[in-house]
Amino acid sequence: MTSLGHWAGVLVTAPLVLLARAVDPLLRAWQRWTGIGGMAAFFLLPNLLIFGVFVLIPIVLNLAYSMTGGTEILLAQRPYVGGEQYARLLECQDYSRPLTCREDQFWTAARNTGLFVLFQVSLMVAVSLVTALILNREIKGRGFFRAVFFFPVLLSPVVVGLIWRWILQREGLLNLLVVNLGLEPQVWLNDRVTAFAAAVGVSTWAHMGFYTLILLAGLQAIPRDLYEAAEMDGTPPARVFRRITLPLLGPNLAVVLVLALIRGVQIFDEAYVLTGGGPGTSTLFLTQYIYEVGFASLLRNPGLAAAASMLMAGVLVVLTLVQLRLSRSSAGGQR
Amino acid sequence: MSQIALKGVTKSFGGVSVIHGVDLDIETGELVVFVGPSGCGKSTLLRLISGLDQPSAGAIEIDGRDVTRVSAADRGLAMVFQSYALYPHMTVRQNLSFGLENTRMAKAEVTGRVAEAARMLNIEPLLDRRPTQLSGGQRQRVAIGRAIVRNPTAFLLDEPLSNLDAELRVSMRAELAALHARLGTTMIYVTHDQIEAMTLASRIVVLRAGRVEQVARPLDLFNRPANLFVAGFIGAPSMNLFPTRAEGGTAALPGGRRVPMAGVPEGSEVTIGLRPQHLRLAQGNEPGFDLRIALIEALGTETVVHGELAGTSGDTPRRVFAILPGQPGVALGDILRLGFDEAYLHRFGPDGQRLVGPGRP
Ligand SMILES: Nc1ncnc2c1ncn2[C@@H]1O[C@H](COP(=O)(O)OP(=O)(O)O)[C@@H](O)[C@H]1O
Ligand SMILES: [Mg+2]
Repeated sequence: MTSLGHWAGVLVTAPLVLLARAVDPLLRAWQRWTGIGGMAAFFLLPNLLIFGVFVLIPIVLNLAYSMTGGTEILLAQRPYVGGEQYARLLECQDYSRPLTCREDQFWTAARNTGLFVLFQVSLMVAVSLVTALILNREIKGRGFFRAVFFFPVLLSPVVVGLIWRWILQREGLLNLLVVNLGLEPQVWLNDRVTAFAAAVGVSTWAHMGFYTLILLAGLQAIPRDLYEAAEMDGTPPARVFRRITLPLLGPNLAVVLVLALIRGVQIFDEAYVLTGGGPGTSTLFLTQYIYEVGFASLLRNPGLAAAASMLMAGVLVVLTLVQLRLSRSSAGGQR
Repeated sequence: MSQIALKGVTKSFGGVSVIHGVDLDIETGELVVFVGPSGCGKSTLLRLISGLDQPSAGAIEIDGRDVTRVSAADRGLAMVFQSYALYPHMTVRQNLSFGLENTRMAKAEVTGRVAEAARMLNIEPLLDRRPTQLSGGQRQRVAIGRAIVRNPTAFLLDEPLSNLDAELRVSMRAELAALHARLGTTMIYVTHDQIEAMTLASRIVVLRAGRVEQVARPLDLFNRPANLFVAGFIGAPSMNLFPTRAEGGTAALPGGRRVPMAGVPEGSEVTIGLRPQHLRLAQGNEPGFDLRIALIEALGTETVVHGELAGTSGDTPRRVFAILPGQPGVALGDILRLGFDEAYLHRFGPDGQRLVGPGRP
């Protein structure tokens, strides 16, 4: 056994050793040339390359596309139109009524996304907080339940959407149950309100395990003897929650809030598979709008789609800055 | 009537028994110290008294009332935690007033009590700081202050000084003693440090593995340890213990000197104890035993000698400690003849219990 392990080790390390011997002189030469500071750049290079190719260049391309018009795909064949696409997106008689806007679909999607974020994020914070509080107690089968709530996070969003469509569609599981109970079957996904609620509920279900985990970690970081000190003083449970648990969980709650906001704004996959944006445009969200305008409609308009993505990116950048700010202040030991 | 009484209290966690039937009476105004090696159940016993944990069997009474099933908050006790357990997001002032705000106490009364405690503990300039902005000693004071404002019938303190550095520990110890003298409130104080126990306690409860080994005033504990465990635990360096055998009403010590040994069956295994302080250089041809010096700790006022009994040089030479007054001119490797007064002997029977009989009262 040991000798087998030994030889396996040699087999793995020998090429590495040879590689190191080969690379060493090159590294030395590089360092002599650039100094020790250049070594950092050397090691960062692969990551910077990947980041540049897959993130930075697409962003710049997107910006370029957003200032061009026409239906051509290749940038070189597209005429420069300046801020026209943005103007088109933002042209509106009355911003509170999407239908008065030139790009009424964009505004509908923006309003839907806003509403979705509002409901989904509130629901998410509430549900994951309650779940974390329950899982933090010494209940039976705690480990099992922790796994159960985390499980959907591991599923592909498309799978999530499919599962729930099977449950909620006209001849789905839910209606089977409803009929068995002697009630009228409902068209859950063909009703404006229930379809929207389903999108909110399903995406909450799919991601709550992640946020629950963040909150659970926060709860477990609160020393137990704080609660015992409060118990000695006869502090009512509601006051313990309000004055001890909530403030000490504050940084974690803030992180959950902002992360959920960021993800909420980007809602697409599970909702698209579940409702396809319908009925009508009642669950049309921004990402779907961008996708359809740019790729899936008869008259593709990549420039308009790019402009819409830039606007959405602006919102996300603001939220991300807030998130970075929060995580820095909580890492700085503000507790 | 005792103020706090434990009656046959036991505690087990899961299947593991941690406290095995403790009976204890604590009088009003006493400062009782629970002392014992780490893991012996001191904290557990304190938590049972506090009401944070429930005993598996037995009863706890406070002022004659059975409080075994009464919640921690309704026992009128205040606890100072080893970690201090200060609320990190509240100022010192809020930490002090938090517990009072649970009661229907008037605001002015709360403010008054906080101010009073802050003055008593010299933490007035710190009232608007948060715990993270305090030193260890200051946090300790705040933790004590949080207990004081509640005006409890007894204080429970779990190793309150163990997170402080040595110097601060000594000064806080003195302050705690002064505080106890001033408030006159009962205190139960847990520590594994026998110096803390000896200097603070009106009575010491020595615990081992969930059992009470002895309850006594500090000097009684030192002078009359009830059994071998207490004899070895109290006093530093610890008591020299010599296993021997009772023969004809006497027992032999190393070196051959025989001392009276009454009240045990002929031939039984007994132990004779002698504190290092009670050994002295033998005068003239006084009988005693010979010690080869292996280590000398000269402290100026006294000299601690670690020696090996001559004649036991084999595999396991028996270690003996002696404390000699002043600065005797001894050197490593010297062989000393040590003598003692029989009045200072401690005698323990085959069961390890102290034998009454001749010896220092
Ligand atoms: N909540 C608990 N669950 C299981 N065992 C415990 C628990 N609390 C204490 N013990 C055990 O009880 C024994 C006594 O612990 P403790 O009272 O903390 O000792 P100490 O005298 O050092 O304060 C230890 O063996 C400890 O492992
Ligand atoms: Mg302890």
